[in-house]
Amino acid sequence: MKRLRINGILGALLLGIVGGLALISVFWTPYDPMKVSLRERLNPPSLIHWLGTDEFGRDVLSRIMTGAAESLVVSICTVAFAVLFGTLIGLFAGYVRGLADRLLMVVSDALLAFPGTLLALGIMVIVGPNKYGIIVALGIAYTPSVLRIVRASVLSAREREYVEASRVIGNSELVTMFRHVLPNCTAPLVVLATSMFGWVVLAESGLSFLGLGVPPPAPTWGNMLASARPHMERAIWLGFAPGLCIAMTMLGVNLLGDALRDRFDPRMEDR
Amino acid sequence: MTGHATYIGKRLLWTLPTLFLVALIVFFIVRLIPGDPVQVILGDQATEQEIAVLRAQYGLDKPIPMQFALWMGQVLQGDLGNSITNNQPVMSLLLSRFQVSATIVLIAVTLATLIAVPAGLLAAWKQNTTLDVAIVAGATLLMSVPSFWLGLILLLIFGLKLAWLPVYGYVPFSENPVEALRYMILPAATLILIEVGVLTRMARASAMEVLRLEYVTHARAKGLSNRQVLLKHVLPNAFAPTWTMIGLVLGGLLGGIAVLETVFTLPGLGRLLVDAIFARDYPVVQGCLLFTALIYVIVNLIVDLCYPLFDPRVSAS
Amino acid sequence: MMLSKKLLLSCLFAGALLGQANMAHAQDSTLKIRINADIRSSDPGVNRDANTDMVVMHVVEGLVGYKEDSTIGNMLAESVDISDDGKVYTFKLRDGITFHNGAPLTAEDVLFSWKRYTDPANAWRCLPDVNGQGLAHVVNVAAPDPKTVVFTLEKPAALFLATLARTDCAGTGIYHHESVDASGKWVKPIGTGPFKFENWVSNQYIELARNENYKALSTPRDGMVGDKTPLVDKVRFVIIPDDSATKAALLSGGIDIISDISNTDVAELSANKTVKLDKAQGMGLNVFLFQTRDPLLSDVRIRRALELSLDYPEIATVVTEGQAEAGHSVIPRPSAFFKTAQAEIPSRNIEEAKKLLAEAGYNGQPIEWITSKQYPALFDTAVLAQAMASEAGINLDIKVLDWATLQDHYNNGTYQAMSMTYSARLDPSLSFDMMSGNKDKQPRKVWDNPEALELLAKSKEVSDPAARQEIFDKLETMYRADVPMISLYSGVKTAAVRPAVQGYKGWAVGQPRAWGVSVEAD
Repeated sequence: MKRLRINGILGALLLGIVGGLALISVFWTPYDPMKVSLRERLNPPSLIHWLGTDEFGRDVLSRIMTGAAESLVVSICTVAFAVLFGTLIGLFAGYVRGLADRLLMVVSDALLAFPGTLLALGIMVIVGPNKYGIIVALGIAYTPSVLRIVRASVLSAREREYVEASRVIGNSELVTMFRHVLPNCTAPLVVLATSMFGWVVLAESGLSFLGLGVPPPAPTWGNMLASARPHMERAIWLGFAPGLCIAMTMLGVNLLGDALRDRFDPRMEDR
Repeated sequence: MTGHATYIGKRLLWTLPTLFLVALIVFFIVRLIPGDPVQVILGDQATEQEIAVLRAQYGLDKPIPMQFALWMGQVLQGDLGNSITNNQPVMSLLLSRFQVSATIVLIAVTLATLIAVPAGLLAAWKQNTTLDVAIVAGATLLMSVPSFWLGLILLLIFGLKLAWLPVYGYVPFSENPVEALRYMILPAATLILIEVGVLTRMARASAMEVLRLEYVTHARAKGLSNRQVLLKHVLPNAFAPTWTMIGLVLGGLLGGIAVLETVFTLPGLGRLLVDAIFARDYPVVQGCLLFTALIYVIVNLIVDLCYPLFDPRVSAS
Repeated sequence: MMLSKKLLLSCLFAGALLGQANMAHAQDSTLKIRINADIRSSDPGVNRDANTDMVVMHVVEGLVGYKEDSTIGNMLAESVDISDDGKVYTFKLRDGITFHNGAPLTAEDVLFSWKRYTDPANAWRCLPDVNGQGLAHVVNVAAPDPKTVVFTLEKPAALFLATLARTDCAGTGIYHHESVDASGKWVKPIGTGPFKFENWVSNQYIELARNENYKALSTPRDGMVGDKTPLVDKVRFVIIPDDSATKAALLSGGIDIISDISNTDVAELSANKTVKLDKAQGMGLNVFLFQTRDPLLSDVRIRRALELSLDYPEIATVVTEGQAEAGHSVIPRPSAFFKTAQAEIPSRNIEEAKKLLAEAGYNGQPIEWITSKQYPALFDTAVLAQAMASEAGINLDIKVLDWATLQDHYNNGTYQAMSMTYSARLDPSLSFDMMSGNKDKQPRKVWDNPEALELLAKSKEVSDPAARQEIFDKLETMYRADVPMISLYSGVKTAAVRPAVQGYKGWAVGQPRAWGVSVEAD
């Protein structure tokens, strides 16, 4: 358990740092992240600009902080989207079964057959490059995963005695579903949501890297990495910071996810 | 065994509506995107006549449902049409690009598995020792790093600063095996490092589960050596969930590989798709997505079907 | 006697050896030029793009062609006689010209090629400009004798020869009827050009071979005309789509010439001792476009205020990394018609801009500016404009779209303001044409001032250069008063060649020319 606690603490700490930076950026950043300063292009890190400046002379640290806020907001909303719709549909499918369930699974499998990034890509180009588009696109891409987990939990739960009991008492199906079956899914759902948060951060930065994410000049870690590429030889620091931030976030998510998984998994013995 | 056969049959049958749905989604999504492929090719000095003739040549002037019907007809005959951008047959484009992506992915996943499974087993066996902690920490760190960033860093160090390895491009094995290897090292290494993280943790987790199981303690009580226990009981059962993971990883990699191909400028499937989307090259986008979906479905099918081989307790029901 | 015989024999032997060595030497000379995508067909003018035109025009030649200063020179025509009423063009063909298959060039071949060009099914880009829909109407083509071709036009057209010379119309290159098989299907181009069409390995390369019987003009190489003697035995156009891979290929010797390197690569490659750079002023144009029918931007004061809030020399320097000079006219810098009126660049004047904005009642409403990352310049200029305009209180809201979507908006006029880039226009009439016209019929046009359109139509009928310059100067004044568009600069095309390559020169149209270029054998 001790190791779990370390994982949990470390993970929460890392995410806390990132979250903190993001929160601060809403109120204050060292410089205006969008301010172009042509005299100061591609300056290395110094006391004036802690992380240097980019190809338009904008302060990298400020952009990282704002980028944190952008990435986090997009990821949280996406996970919320996927969890909300995935849970609702999964509950429905698992409970109702039959043809409706079969059809939903076929659609879900079809969506799953698309690598998530590519599905999001397609939707993005239609919807147009904006924050909301990404949330919807990635949300749709990840809903099937949530759907599957919830449905599986429902399938195993519905045969349990307390469900039967609930029906016998006279509760409606809806009540049974929400009050008795749903809580059963909480554990795997929490674990999945945590992992998904990491995947979405990664996916969003990947899409931005390819040129289809939240579009510039608004800073996200992904498009900062993309803009850094042609200047890699002259300005190494441009590529370092955003990548490091993504890695930190992912590490935090993974560690926290580990801790949560171990906590929720009743089969783990105390070691 | 008939149970098994019907299972396979049913699974295969259910992939058909899935694939059809994929084709439908692909086709219509692509046409919902604003922009005209013919305009993209002809540029800003295009005349109306030029545009009309080229559109007719690619059947873009027909109503969309008819275009879909024609395309499906072609697909069922194995013809994916021609690229609008460069007039090459989509099928041959896909296959040559797929070779590149698949080579890297297969090499990377194979090597990653060869490293990850023993590492995971070792960690599980030596649970809670410093070694275990080190392995888990390393694996977690590796899987947290974004692949394209790792690729950029490796490129910077080995390609630019040290100039040991080439920075861009690709040489097929058939042309020059030695050169091909040199071009392959960096992208494969990037993939291996990331996947090793994921797979090691998976292998360790499932190995730990099995180690706890009673029949393992039984086996040890019976007097089997550690090595025999490991190899005969733990490995196959630990491998099963890892095997499923590999399936997911493989299928997912083919989709996510676009970023790596961009970083290392490899002429692979991922980049083909991204470029085609930007160019609105409908036949290529459709063919590519359909192809990727098919691969994903097949890989998962194979994984599912092989699962019972690894875990005798699981029956194909 | 014996000695001299021996001497003679040994001399002959040595000569043969030397000759052998020379032949071997010459056989080794292949010039490798990179192209970024495969060509679409080898049929001139049919199913084409820029790369296709470039390759094809090494194989075929037209009656006339463009010179470096964008005037028209003779190519296969010995002389061009224009009747006094401007309606009859008599072309006399040069003597002694043969096709790659040995057949002599005759007027019949010109007619044969012309028939295919003007077949609507082939969608030749210049067809509207010769069939009366655009610049000219050719009512009759005749061959009174094997060395003469006569084109009769309905009305005088100043740009008829220019149309024939257009590189995106394959220069109206003449080919032999054996280019087409008995059933009328295209085989390969058999032209009169310095190179023969040898081999096309799809997605890998196109190989051309030297035309040993090429009869060159006596005037020096100039654009697409002049002396086009081939100095290498083979030209291989190697297809490498990726820019980084191309750079690597050049540095390793896999290719000899990159005809257009990106601005960011210029700094790196100019420091590299193993590579030579060659700069040529392009005749394209990087611009900002305004939708003058937009409720906010229909007020010319707001457009003018935006114009005054920008620093043009700074934009050009930053975006092109110092490669190109700012140019504020519709007419590109290298044009012969780029004179005083065109060279003027307004100074930045924030005070004046603020005054105009106040007059117009502008209150900081956001103006949506669309751009794309496809061409870095499009994005970079937008970012700079946003920063500079904000100092005058103008609020620009940048939206980045992918190229195809941006093109869509451009074609339909569905935008407030945008960054755009135009490909090369070699005549000022064409330059003004590209952005002005009837907005109802062609929504992509930005300028629909009726007086300007009238003047523009006149410029296409008048042939005298001085008269045309006057018209263009007047148009320039009107253009700057209306500000439907802001011109920024014409890009510079920088080519990178390996030191073994001699004689390569880029030019305004930008496409590489393999004639007059030699490469030392490896």
